[in-house]
Amino acid sequence: MRRNRVALGFLGLFVLIVAFVLAAPLWADHVAHTGPNDTHTLQKIEVDGEKRDVVAPTGQPIGPVWLGADGRFFLGADGRLGRDEMVRLMYGGRNSLFIGIVSALITTLLATVLGLLSGYYRGWTDTAISRAMDVVWAFPVLLLAIALGLVLAVGGLQIGPIHLSGGSIWIPILIIGIVYTPYMARPIRGEVLSLREKEFVEAAVAQGAGPLRIMFSELLPNLWSTIIVFFTLNIANNMLLESALSFLSVGVQPPDASWGTMIASAFNLITSAPLLTIIPGTMILLSVLALNVFGDGLRDALDPKSKVRFEAHSGLSAAEGSETAEVATP
Amino acid sequence: MVSAFGLSACGGGSGGGGKEGGTLTGSYASFPDYLDPALSYTAEGWTAMYDTYIPLLTYAHASGAAGSEVIPGLAKAMPKISDGGKTYTLFLRKGLEYSDGTPVKASDFTYAVERVFKLNSGGSPFYTAIVGAEKFAETKSGGIPGIETDDKSGEIVVHLVKPRGTFTNELGLMFVAPVPKSTPAKNMTADPPPATGPYEIVKSEPGRGWSYQRNPQWDKANSKLMPELPSGHVNKIEISVIRNDSTEVNEIERDKTDWMQSSPPADLYQKVKTKYEGSQFRVESTVSIYYFWMNMKRPPFDDLKVRQAVNYAVNTEALERIYAGSLQGAHQILPPGMPGQKDFNLYPYDMAKAKKLIAAANPSDRDITVWTDNESPNNEAGAYYQDVLTKLGFNAKFKEINADNYFTLIGNESTPDLDTGWFDWFEDYPHPNDYFQPLLAGESILPANNSNFSQTDIPALNEKIARLGEEQLGPEQEAEYAELDREYMEQAPWAPYGNNTTSTFVSSAIDLDQVIYNPTFGHDLTSFQFK
Repeated sequence: MRRNRVALGFLGLFVLIVAFVLAAPLWADHVAHTGPNDTHTLQKIEVDGEKRDVVAPTGQPIGPVWLGADGRFFLGADGRLGRDEMVRLMYGGRNSLFIGIVSALITTLLATVLGLLSGYYRGWTDTAISRAMDVVWAFPVLLLAIALGLVLAVGGLQIGPIHLSGGSIWIPILIIGIVYTPYMARPIRGEVLSLREKEFVEAAVAQGAGPLRIMFSELLPNLWSTIIVFFTLNIANNMLLESALSFLSVGVQPPDASWGTMIASAFNLITSAPLLTIIPGTMILLSVLALNVFGDGLRDALDPKSKVRFEAHSGLSAAEGSETAEVATP
Repeated sequence: MVSAFGLSACGGGSGGGGKEGGTLTGSYASFPDYLDPALSYTAEGWTAMYDTYIPLLTYAHASGAAGSEVIPGLAKAMPKISDGGKTYTLFLRKGLEYSDGTPVKASDFTYAVERVFKLNSGGSPFYTAIVGAEKFAETKSGGIPGIETDDKSGEIVVHLVKPRGTFTNELGLMFVAPVPKSTPAKNMTADPPPATGPYEIVKSEPGRGWSYQRNPQWDKANSKLMPELPSGHVNKIEISVIRNDSTEVNEIERDKTDWMQSSPPADLYQKVKTKYEGSQFRVESTVSIYYFWMNMKRPPFDDLKVRQAVNYAVNTEALERIYAGSLQGAHQILPPGMPGQKDFNLYPYDMAKAKKLIAAANPSDRDITVWTDNESPNNEAGAYYQDVLTKLGFNAKFKEINADNYFTLIGNESTPDLDTGWFDWFEDYPHPNDYFQPLLAGESILPANNSNFSQTDIPALNEKIARLGEEQLGPEQEAEYAELDREYMEQAPWAPYGNNTTSTFVSSAIDLDQVIYNPTFGHDLTSFQFK
């Protein structure tokens, strides 16, 4: 990995992006003096000594003032509501990254458990789990996510005693985490099918180890490199899907910001204030690019012989037992 | 009625000089609530069906005040009103046919009225004054004895429980446009009923668009029987739903689409106005009110102090800016242009006073859900309102709903957390009762297709609405309506914020001067003509 300077460079870029979004409360409290959802439609600010409307009477929002107002409205206002674009970009990034990372964790957890069970037990267990994954996989990821998002946006989700309201950020997290599970479970299952035939597993069985011990103490450590690579690449896919869902109003609910909702709300201003769509779009681009390049580098470093990769195909299934996983982009 | 955007009445003309024929292409930013005459209660739906379903009476195909005149439609003449205003007698014109060739019968009117009640239409309150209608509304069976028809002579007699000063106007609404008895008592949006007007809807793809062609029976029979009604110039009309209003504008500028039903978005409005006014663009004023309703039956809005605080906290100047200059601030129920309207403002903007009222009320339930549709700038108005409620100390959650479904969703009592939200209302006819009865009278609270979102039910004011509704409108009644406006605002069921304008924007191929904008039905599709 040390030799792969490009991958390390992009890791550094991603770390910078994370640091940028984590600094949101600092910027909001100490520089911009406003929250991400606070409106300033009628406010005037002093920019380089001149009083200017945050939102003009014609509805045109102020453009980037950079440091002309001591950091306030650094990137301008986000539209006719006069919200600080920079503050929303930072808080929006927190939401986008949080959703991307947590949903990737959910995908990883579900996919690892299902892949282990399916690959180890084989037989009816494998059949049942694989067919369930096939059903989920049969739906185009974006359409399935939209359908689930629409259904849950109004009434929310009730899981036993836990109720998630329609606007909860956990709804897009769960949706994204679940729809991508088959894309990770199948290759993990393939690796497990291969690993369970190895001598060390036979030895563990001979020593009287039970299935759970074999799966989690013998097989799982051998899967870590695969899991880590998938996890990293999955974050990128999840961020893209979150952006798409939020753009379509079934992800993060307004007025909360995410990079997807920022693009959606600025779409009507694309001719008069194009930066309002370009800036969050660029952040998505940089984050996804950084994760993808780093993930590729990580894969090369951890297991150069492995053919495991996330590639942008349109929903081709992984062959049974194959180590190659192909993932449809949203 | 409601609109996702604004509507108004101004401009338009008659006469020709243009080409006959062709296919008019139009765009809507959202699919209408319904393409069923019994159900639709939005400006978008009424514009779509104005030239398709003709009631017994209709509204003159004209812009401005002339467009508010009620004229005979399928009926031969205006009704004879007798029995102290409780009996209306009309005669169906003989020889009328639906677009499928079925003869129009007098008893089809009864069926249309029954259908309104069977479908729990939002228009039901207009017709509950018919003898037997209230019982039919509950039981959905047994017929409506207050309507007597004779298919042979075409006579239709409607008996009312009490006089109703607005009933002539209400007979001109599409809710009770006759439809064949074979029309199922269910939402027919995907397969609209046969037409009586110059255009029939031949294809409907909910969410995507719909198409018209000339009604073959119009030229054969109906146009000769209703010569006062225009036949239209174009042969076909194709309407697409284009959800991005910037794209709609772009399509018109490139002459790919001939007309857009809504106004250009706020960020393009001034540019389009400057570039095209007079040639392809015209501002239309409306008789409309935009407001935030507050559910008086749910805390914290069951407390008058809270509702008054909200009124003090909403700054109409900010909302004027959000609407980019197309909105004029308002603080009362009746809009300018409505008989009986007198300007007043009980709650001039004062955030400090608003916070004091909240402190005095000290509501224990501070969780509020704010509803709005997803069309700009209404969704931004909703986001502004949510911010105002947050500043007042509430935990305000925002729910933005697709405009296709918004009105039916918030009008359904089974939808949870209907605390407060955005709404707009455009005149159904030039009578102030149209603002009070459907939106604020207790009897208008319906389990579905409700328009009284604030759940306002104040017995003393209900009685006043009912009494004034029976009387013919004159100066005395107008003064009482002005007083009623003030009395309701003292109870603050809403936080009104503005009256909107809309516009006509057409491609360079369309003769703008011929386009009629009717104050009730919006753009008249029969007036569109290619140059």
